[in-house]
This record gives sequence, C-alpha cells and structure tokens, in this order.
Amino acid sequence: MADAAPPAPAAKALSCPSCGGTLAVRAAGYTVTIACQYCSSILDVSQPDVKLVTQYHEAAARLEIPLGTRGTLRGVEWEAIGYLARSERGQYGWEEYLLFNPYHGYRWLIANRGGWSFGELLTVVPGHDGGITLDGKRYKPFFADGTAQVDYVVGEFYWRVKRGETVRTDDWVRPGFMLSREADDREVSWSLSELLDPKEMKAFGVTANPKPSPPLPHQPSPHVGWLKQGLVVALLAIAVLLGVAIFSGGGGTVFTGTAPIAADGSEQEATLGPFTLARARQGVKIETRVPALSNGWVDINYALVSRADQKAYTASKAAEAYSGRDTDGSWSEGSRSTGASFAAVPAGTYDLIVSYRGNVWVDPTAPLNGGSNPGDFFGGGGAAAPQPAAPDWRRDGGEPPQLQIEVRTTRFQGGVLVLALFLIAIPLLIGLIRHAAFESTRTGESDFAPVLSDEED
Amino acid sequence: MLTIDCPNCGAPVTFRSAGLPDRVCDHCRSMLVRSDAGVAIVGVQAALPFDVSPLQIGTRGRFDGKPFEIVGRVRWSWTDGSWNEWLCLFGDSGFGWLGEAMGQFMMTFERPMPRVQSPVLMAIQRGADAPIGDRIKLDDDMLTVADAREVECIAAEGELPFTAPPGWRIYSVDFRTTSGRVANMQRDGDEAHFYDGRYVTLAELQPAGLRAIDGWAIPANG
Repeated sequence: MADAAPPAPAAKALSCPSCGGTLAVRAAGYTVTIACQYCSSILDVSQPDVKLVTQYHEAAARLEIPLGTRGTLRGVEWEAIGYLARSERGQYGWEEYLLFNPYHGYRWLIANRGGWSFGELLTVVPGHDGGITLDGKRYKPFFADGTAQVDYVVGEFYWRVKRGETVRTDDWVRPGFMLSREADDREVSWSLSELLDPKEMKAFGVTANPKPSPPLPHQPSPHVGWLKQGLVVALLAIAVLLGVAIFSGGGGTVFTGTAPIAADGSEQEATLGPFTLARARQGVKIETRVPALSNGWVDINYALVSRADQKAYTASKAAEAYSGRDTDGSWSEGSRSTGASFAAVPAGTYDLIVSYRGNVWVDPTAPLNGGSNPGDFFGGGGAAAPQPAAPDWRRDGGEPPQLQIEVRTTRFQGGVLVLALFLIAIPLLIGLIRHAAFESTRTGESDFAPVLSDEED
Repeated sequence: MLTIDCPNCGAPVTFRSAGLPDRVCDHCRSMLVRSDAGVAIVGVQAALPFDVSPLQIGTRGRFDGKPFEIVGRVRWSWTDGSWNEWLCLFGDSGFGWLGEAMGQFMMTFERPMPRVQSPVLMAIQRGADAPIGDRIKLDDDMLTVADAREVECIAAEGELPFTAPPGWRIYSVDFRTTSGRVANMQRDGDEAHFYDGRYVTLAELQPAGLRAIDGWAIPANG
C-alpha cells in the first residue's frame, strides 16, 4: 500500500524574508535554521512562519562544494545542505559541510588544510579505560580545552546556528580517526570522523590534498602501511631463512675417521671417505681434534674432493696448544681442536684428503746434531751418557697421536644469516626513522605534544 | 479490529487494537475516541507540516526480532525545532514509540513509573524542573538528565493510545547513557509517564514500506 503512494517531494521552497530569494529546504521537518544563500541572513524555520534572526547583506561565499551537490560515499548518496566555517577563536580555520540523506540522517564532511574527513554524531559516549576508548579502540588525547567558534554559515541546519557562537572542544585521535567532544552549557555531543582517501572526495568534485602540511592530527603515517608490509615480508623472509636453516639444515655427521701422526714431523697425507652429501647445497664443517697435542702444533690442509668432477674445496688450518707454569701460576693457550667450514657444497660423493704435519720438537737442551753435549766442554770426555729424549707429545702423551676427524653438514651459515637479517632490517630502519619524523610533525600541534628540550643547557 | 464509518465524514476508519482507542480520521482529520458507548468525535486534528521523514503509517519492521507496524504518529515541537514520535504496534498488541529527531532514531517502551523511583524522578514528577546533568540510577545503568523542556503537540495521525490535540503542552525530560540506552519522562499535570529504550538505526529495524521520497533511493532493505 505504501508503495502505491506517489513519492513525497524531497524539498520545499520558501522565500527569504530579507532578500526575497527562493530557498529550498532539503531536510524539511528537521531543519531549524537556514542561512540564506543569497544574502547570508539567518532565518528561523522551526515554526510555520519563517522568522528573520540576523540580517546580513552579503553575497554568500563561493563554496568548494556548492550546496545541493550530491555525492556517494561508502555506498550512500549524500547531499550537501549546510556549510560552516569554523576556527579556534579566529585561528586555524577549518570548514564543515552538513550532509543529509532522508533515509540515513546526517553526516559531516570536514575540510582541514585540504584533507577531508567524514564525520558522524555518536549515540554512545566513549568509555574511560585509562584513556578514551570507543568500540574497543583506544584514542590518544590530541587537543584539549579548545574553543571552536562559527565564523560563517550558509545553508540549513537542524539546530539554531549563528555566527560567533562557541563550543568547548576536546579531541582524541588514532590513525585515521578523530574522536571529538563538543560541549556548551546545555549539551555534550561526541562525534567520530574518519579521514577520507583523496580519491573518495572526487564524489563531490573535490580535489583533496593527499599530503596536508603539517599532517592532520588523525592522519596515519604514510610509512606505516609499507612498514607493516615490509615487516610482514621481512618476518616471512626471516621465517624462511630460519626454516631453511632448521629444516633443511640436518646438521648430521656424515663421516668420522682418524689419521695417525708420525713422530718424525714429516708431511703426511690421508684420504678419508668417501661420504655422501645429500642436499643440493649444504654447509660442511670439518672438526679435527688432536687429543694428544701438548706444547706443539699440527698444520692441516683439507681438500674436499668431489668424486664426480674432482672439484676440490680446500682450507688450511692449524691446531696448537701450549701450557706451562710461571710466576702467575699455570697457563694454557690454544686448543686441541680446529675446524674448517665450507659453505654451499653441492651434493655428491666426496673424499676428504688431509695433508698434515706435526711440529718438530726442538728441545733447547737437546744436543745439536745428536751427540754433542754441553757437558763435553767441561771435560770428562769419553763416551757420553745416553741423553734422555726431548719430551715430545707425539711420543709421550697419554693419547695416541692422531687426528680425530669428523665431517658434519651444518645447519646454516650463521654469518650469512646475520648478514641477511641486517639487509632485511636496513629499509625497515630507514622507514622507522621517517615514520618517527612524520609522527613528530603530526603531533607538533597537539596540546599533548612531547616537550622538546632543545633549549635546555 | 473494528471498522466503522467516520461519524463526521463517513469514510471508513479502523481501530486495530483495544489499547489504541484514539484515532484520527485519515480523510477529515476528526479526532475519534472509541469507548464502550461507541465512537465519539472529540475535536479536529491539525494538518501535519511537510517533512522528509523516511517513515510513514504502514511502515513495518523488526525490533529485537519482533515484528511491528507503524500505526500512528505524534509530531511535537519545542522552541528549537520539532520531531516525530511514531507509534509501533507489535504483534502481541504491545506498542513502542520510534522517536525520530535530528536524523537519528530511538525505540522506547513505556514502563510503570513506580518501578523507576528515585529522588530526582520523584521531584520532577511533583513538578520540579529537571536538573540537567544530574544522574539517576535505573536498573544497572546511570542515566544523565540531558535535556528538559516544555513541548507542544503540533499534530497527530493514525491510531494512538491517547488523544493528542494540537497545542497540548507537556514537560518532557530526556535521559541519556553512555551505552546508547535512552529514557524519557513526560509530565502532564499530575500525571507522569516513563519511557525506556535505546538508539536504533533504520537499517537494523529492517524496514519495509518506507516512504518514497522523490530523487532518493530507498535503501535495499527498505
């Protein structure tokens, strides 16, 4: 039955009692005040008889969005029906357009330094939870104890509006959103506005400034978006690196063997293996222990040779260990172990060729060229008593003189991992610095801006 | 359901519910009151001023899952404007008021005054001005006195639980909470009525039969 009725008209017309101009009332039934678009006079339309409240004889300001303009935001069509120029007691001016749709009520378009926000009056009061919260989201204080005044008005409004009237204001922000409290002697109202993407303002034929300067209080840092993406990518990369390190790492022993060390200090060579490296690429670590080593050294040359193509991976290392006793007590340095690492060795069957040589022990007390004995100079002559052999670890140690060699595939090259993490972190660090600079500018206007202490001694 | 001919103009008028004895004739705007004695004419209702409300008599919807239909309206005014109270008749013959002001909606239901006694409410009931900003406890909520003013009936239409003659003045007090719950108290001489409810959006009422307004698209769920 309702559908059969002809549509109600959307607007009604009235004449301005000051200039006689014909005005359209677009929110009939709600509108209380109209500021004439021809002479700027303020009219009271709350009663059937239109009353002149304040007479002006000013041509109305040219508006960026002419009243009557319609645009679709977030899927709903809105008509601009009122305009307010407001300021903080004459400074820091901003503009507000009242939007109306008979099925969706009122909204606001707020323009500040070329950036636009979409605002709505709240029917709930934000909660206090150590700060201000709305729908579980936390807002940080930004402006406090402001006084917003109306400097200019044109169009229609659902309350009595006049130039010069003021309200007390407080504002809180979170990225992209501003929560505002306006209070006069009678009422407190809360509204929430959301920063619009400049593209969205094309709906009203407006070219919005994508980079208001300084940034708007609720303007999200432009670096946060890519920083978050970058962080996600970085975390993924790190996860992959660690995953590769952990899961493809294996870290198993593929071969163990020993090689005897000759007592004469000659160069020796041992071929150990073969063993197989299974993964396409792996780190290989060769760990050699010389348990018998004592006050001496062993030079070791490794050659990891592929049976397939004779390609060799070589490294030279030494194990040396010394100890003794002096006036400070006993000391020791060096190690009986030495290791060699190879990064990214391809799969295949390998032999490990180890050439090595233990130190030739020269006992300063031993006779030169075998036989000469300092005692000879002191007479005596004759057949020398058998000299005790110089101490030699290769002969005298409790352990057999040998290399104990273990070949392991390694989990990951720690150095490579650290380098990768560093490279991943650099752009993020740069982004963080730029983000901090943006935030510093953004909060510069805030009544809660961090106090700068540059001028302190 | 009772359908009779309007005693003034003869057009058919329907009384849907015994709880809604007042009726404005759609045709001649006579104010009719139904009683055991029959249907009497008690006056003439004023014409409703034009508005662009999306609601109309016959609009249906659901509130908390319960279906309702709008069967009447009272338009009130105060010094700074005017608003609609739409009477919603629910299937169980209970009714609520869908208030429409400043493009926002709130659904309230009358509840007995004695159940919500408080010193502030009692003082208001006895004729005191409501202290704006004062708080009263209702159930587990704190209500704040947000507004208090003399209001005047401009006009009414459809079926109503009381006679709402144009020029009828009452004292109306609005209460708000932080949660969207709202309440309203109306004092008319010695009588006071208390209404309790909350803000709603038109969309959540899933309205059907919204009023068509030239040049505007009715929302899909309407």
